[in-house]
Formats: sequence, C-alpha cells, structure tokens
Amino acid sequence: VSTQSTGHHSKHQTMSFSPYENNGGTVLAVAGNDFCVIAGDTRMSEGYSIKTRHFHKLLKLTSKCVLATSGMQADMLALHALLRARLTMYEHDHGREMPTTAIAQLLSVSLYYRRFFPYYTFNVLGGIDENGEGLAYSYDAVGSFERVKYSSSGTGQSLIQPFLDNQVAKLNQLIRPDDAPPLNDVVDFVKDAMTSAGERDIYTGDSGDVAVIDANGVRIESFELKRD
Amino acid sequence: GINAEYGTPPHLTSTLNKQPNRFIMSIMEYNGGAVVAMVGKGCVAIASDKRYGVQAQTVGFDFEKVFRIQERTFVGLTGLATDVQTMASKLEFRTKLYELREERQMTPKVLAHLLSQLLYEKRFGPYFTEPVVAGLDGKGEPYICAMDLIGAQELAKDFVVTGTCTENLFGMCESLWRPDLEEDELFEIVSQCLLASVDRDATSGWGAVVHIINADGVRTRHLKTRQD
Repeated sequence: VSTQSTGHHSKHQTMSFSPYENNGGTVLAVAGNDFCVIAGDTRMSEGYSIKTRHFHKLLKLTSKCVLATSGMQADMLALHALLRARLTMYEHDHGREMPTTAIAQLLSVSLYYRRFFPYYTFNVLGGIDENGEGLAYSYDAVGSFERVKYSSSGTGQSLIQPFLDNQVAKLNQLIRPDDAPPLNDVVDFVKDAMTSAGERDIYTGDSGDVAVIDANGVRIESFELKRD
Repeated sequence: GINAEYGTPPHLTSTLNKQPNRFIMSIMEYNGGAVVAMVGKGCVAIASDKRYGVQAQTVGFDFEKVFRIQERTFVGLTGLATDVQTMASKLEFRTKLYELREERQMTPKVLAHLLSQLLYEKRFGPYFTEPVVAGLDGKGEPYICAMDLIGAQELAKDFVVTGTCTENLFGMCESLWRPDLEEDELFEIVSQCLLASVDRDATSGWGAVVHIINADGVRTRHLKTRQD
C-alpha cells in the first residue's frame, strides 16, 4: 500500500494513506465448446519493482472451475479465502461441488457486499457447466459480471483484449465460420497472447500458469515468460 | 471550446442552458485518434483512423491523420487536431524549401530529424502531437520512427504506434507482426491491428485509411469499418 500526496485543489500537498495498491499482472480466459482455458502470469510488482516472480493468480475452486484474479494481491488472497470457505460450506450442506454458474453468482454478490470499500480485484472465472459446456465470466471490482466467450483483465488487458476480439471472435474478418479450434490450439494461442503482453507491459512476465478445464478435470501447467 | 464554460461570469449565463459537468480529458485525448506504421519486405505500411472528435462527440469522419510529405515518405500525427494540422503544414513548407535548395527528395531519416527539431524548439510550450514517420530511403530500405511530443525519437525495426489506444496497438502488433511480410500480407496485418485496436477505443475509429509504400509507388486503401 502506498502513501501519496493529494495536491489537486489546494496549495498544500498533504500525504495521505491509500489502502489500495495495484500489484500488476494479467489474466485471461477463453471458453470453448466443451472446455475452458484460463491463464495468468505470476509476477507481483509494487511500483517499478518486482516483489516476487512466483505469485500464482489462479485458484482451483472445484474440479470444474478456476478463478483468476489480477489487481491487488492482498485483496485477492482475502477474496480467495472467502470463496474457499463458502465453497466448503456448500459442499457440506449439499453433498456435492458447487456448480460453476452458481460460483459465478456467488463471486458477484461477494464483491458487491463490499460495494463501499471494494476488493481491488479484477476477476476472470473459467470452467465448465453441469452439461460440460465451456464457460467464462468477467467481473469488475464491485461484482458486475457477464458471461463471455473470452475475456482478459489486469495491466495487460488493453494489449490482449483487441487480440482476442480479432482472433477468437474474428471481428473485422470476412472469413467463413470455421470448426471451433481444438484445445491444443487454444492453449498455444493463450500462451502467445500472454507472451505478447509480456513484451510491452512491464507488469506482466516471469512465468505463466495455464489451466485447462474439461470433462477430465482441471490441469494446470506452467510456461516461461520473459523476466525483464 | 476547451474551457469555455469557465470563462463566462455566472450572472451572464442562462440557468436554462446550463451544461452538466463534462468530463475534461487530458489534452492528448481531447480529439482522439490512432496511427500505426509497420515494416515489411522492401515496403512499409502506415495507417490511421479517420475520426475527428471533440471529447465524446464525433464531428467528422474524413480526418485522415497520415500525410504524404515526400514521394515515398509519410508522416502520421495524432494528438490535438490543431497541432496535427499545423505540424503537417510546417513539414510541407520545410520540405518544399528543401526540394528547392537540394533539388532532391528528403529522406525519411532526415525528415524525422527535422520533425524532432521542430518539436524540441517548443520544449517549454510544446505542440501536443506525437508523430510517426514511415518511408523508404533512396536505396529502397524501409524506415520507421516514432516521437514523443518534444521530439524524442524511437527507432524501430518492426512497428511504431501512436494515439489514444497505443496499448491496444502494441498488443495487436506484438502478436500479429512478423519479419519479412510481403505487401499483401502486410496490408492485412496492419489493417487488422488498427481495426481491432480502435474498436476498443471510444475516441478512435469511424473509418480507416492504409498506405502501402514500396519502391514502385504508393497504394492507398480505405477500410470499411464499424461507424461507432
């Protein structure tokens, strides 16, 4: 967290405490027909320094759902702990894992609960629903959410989002609708997007985690990113 | 105008026509716009959007931001529209003088140096524009370069970007560009980079123009784009 001077209106510059800090980083998700690929880098920054190169932003919530969070990592940890607790309670009450669609709603209300002192987190939720269909949801800091086919969040969002528009939704391209790309192609594509963001965004890099959620469960793999 | 409402004393303004508080953007974002230049195999491409806007309002859609300053050298300018026009005029003036004295065309490198000089001359009261130079030199070698508003040059071998959506453009170019693109491929890549980027920026877009410069000449194409 930082102290910063407010000097907008008055001649005096007073130092004030800000409870928020952006630790940087980028997350993205792409939902397929029967899978979802969700990824996040592992760099945690403060200002122009790197605090650690090994901070995982992905959280496996159930065998069908993974949450990726960028923004302030302290708030991310608090939010993840809250969700873990709520999911455990659900499993005790209902005897089964919470469905991804329900988790999506739970995350939204949990964020809105803190409407007047928000979690400084930019979330992307990925998974499969009860029928095995791929899902991705994107959130703002206070819980406004939307189901999407793809989304990105964090410091690299403005670099990655147009690329996803262009390559996943094929906007501005006059091509015949293709068969949906296979899983491995989507994984490679997500890694490429991260790598490109890592080139130009100083807060994105070090390494990346990619989670694949499909009928076989959740598989998380690591890949290298530039450390500069 | 930029600050018209602050200039009139309250007793002279009509309470009926009071404008609600409008959001004043930074001066570089007042008009909006985007320009990108890329190097291909023996050719360069330079492209811009065509929007002329005043903050949130669009007032024109034929405001190209790329100017043909010499036979094989273009300059793209974004930022405050009045300064875009002024710099383009100043460059035209200086290059015509150069042609009269030297009896030859100004090479892109020399033009970039001139532009840098013109900008730095106003170091403590700058022109609010960040230009991009793209062209072929006497030997047909591609040359691109970008500058900040006080003339600091950034030489690149791949691509340069400027405008209100530079992050979007960086993300797109970093992902789509590769070395030794042939003219037709270069055209497609530059177009997709520009379109995907401006479609995620509220103050850029409303049409686009792409120029491909090679040893034989210049080919100009206008793109059909979203008009929002």
